[in-house]
Amino acid sequence: MMNIIFLILAHWLIVLTLAPLFVGVITKVKAFFAGKKGPSVFQPFFDLQRLFQKNSVYSRTTTWVFRGAPIVNLAAVLLLSLMIPLGPFKAPLQFSGDILLAVYILSLARFFMIIAALDTGSSFEGMGASREAFFSCLCELALFMNFITLSLVSHSISLSTMIGADTSLSWNLIGPALLLVAGSFFLVILAENNRIPIDDPDTHLELTMIHEVMILDHSGVDLGFMLYAAAIKLFIFAGILVPIILSIHAGNPIVDMLIFLGGMLGASMAVGIVESTMARLKLNRVKNLLLIAVAVAFFGFVVKMWKG
Amino acid sequence: MTSWVDVICIIVVFLSLVILSNSRVTAMIRVFALQSFVLGLLPFFLHISGMSGRVVMISLVTIILKAGLVPYILFWAIRHVSMRTEIKPILGFGTSIILGAIVIAGAFWVSLSLKLPGKPVSDLILPCSLSTVLLGFMIMVTRTRAVTQVLGYLILENGIFLFAISLFDEMPALIEMGVLLDIFVAVFIMAIVVNHINEEFEKNTVSVGRSKMGETF
Repeated sequence: MMNIIFLILAHWLIVLTLAPLFVGVITKVKAFFAGKKGPSVFQPFFDLQRLFQKNSVYSRTTTWVFRGAPIVNLAAVLLLSLMIPLGPFKAPLQFSGDILLAVYILSLARFFMIIAALDTGSSFEGMGASREAFFSCLCELALFMNFITLSLVSHSISLSTMIGADTSLSWNLIGPALLLVAGSFFLVILAENNRIPIDDPDTHLELTMIHEVMILDHSGVDLGFMLYAAAIKLFIFAGILVPIILSIHAGNPIVDMLIFLGGMLGASMAVGIVESTMARLKLNRVKNLLLIAVAVAFFGFVVKMWKG
Repeated sequence: MTSWVDVICIIVVFLSLVILSNSRVTAMIRVFALQSFVLGLLPFFLHISGMSGRVVMISLVTIILKAGLVPYILFWAIRHVSMRTEIKPILGFGTSIILGAIVIAGAFWVSLSLKLPGKPVSDLILPCSLSTVLLGFMIMVTRTRAVTQVLGYLILENGIFLFAISLFDEMPALIEMGVLLDIFVAVFIMAIVVNHINEEFEKNTVSVGRSKMGETF
């Protein structure tokens, strides 16, 4: 019992320290491409610390839903992070079929974020909430399509096994299908975490944004929780993608950890490069990009069925 | 080297999907050039052990012609056209993508009962070539502009090229060269025609007659 609690705490410690670093590396890569020095990779920690020292301000129109949303969000992603293997550290929470729980925990967090945005009664936030609801519908389709292919590949419906963290995926036999899954999943990462080309995390122009507009009314500690949850969510998604691509097991925990950290560094740099080389898509073309993600995921599924 | 051939097949179909969902003509031409370039590399990977002069020739001619000259001519053809985007495709982009995914699944399903003579290098070549042909065909029939329809035709031809390459050993190089020449001439003529239509009407939609009859465009 004590052992499990220790494992869970260690898992959370790693996630809580690495997630803001992940965002910091993305910012650094973007600054490098823009020819600037850029803030230190630890800047997200300082931002969070500043927010945690402030008090929250609540509008008189809001109810407990608005106050509860940041806590639910952070709790949901922390629970979800227990299902993600981190290199040599196996996921503390895993059972057959946990993949459905994982997707629905994500939906719970999103539901509370949307309903909190609606709770403020601001028209801008309502607009952002409707966009988020629409795009996440399409994302979920692609996500499930990818998970179906992965479960067929690995003959398992447990997240850790599916993404090749516990047993290696056979890239030699069904490489093309896994290539498509990885590509589609990368698009899902960008869309789910509101990165460019779907949404710009740095913009503060209400008409163009999706995620940022929903957290406009949160302040202080609440905003800190929201930002921390967003960073952890991005980390979790990258943590699912990296084992799929780097399905290697050296056996040595230190080497495994280095492979995992290298993969995560690569993933954050890939996101940073995409963000610096692409412009934000027009809002009515975002749908097409997500549909491509769905089509590619479906194509991967077809290839998997073809290869047998 | 089967895995590399597989990867190339997958990329070719994926790029056709990208073209299908794109609304900008310049971007479409660039993606087409990329697709042709990737296809041009295919003979190398198919014959990685026994490299012959014929393989190198086919590869080089394909790359120079389809990834270089044809896109160049297409850019030349649209250089004066102010409208660089597809205005109103017959099928919306979202619908096209979903239909494209279904078409791919259909192509794979049909390929189950198609048996090629001889042993194919990779079992993905046949379904992927069929998918590319069908996707190219879809672009051809659902777009309203002359340039985009020609692009659809070129993608269709890329699919046929992918199919032909799997019968490489049975096919004389002369026929391949003839086909490539045909494509080149077709694109060349199209470019001149589009250019003239452009000068005449300043708006080279195929349905130009319809818009004159009072339809809003």
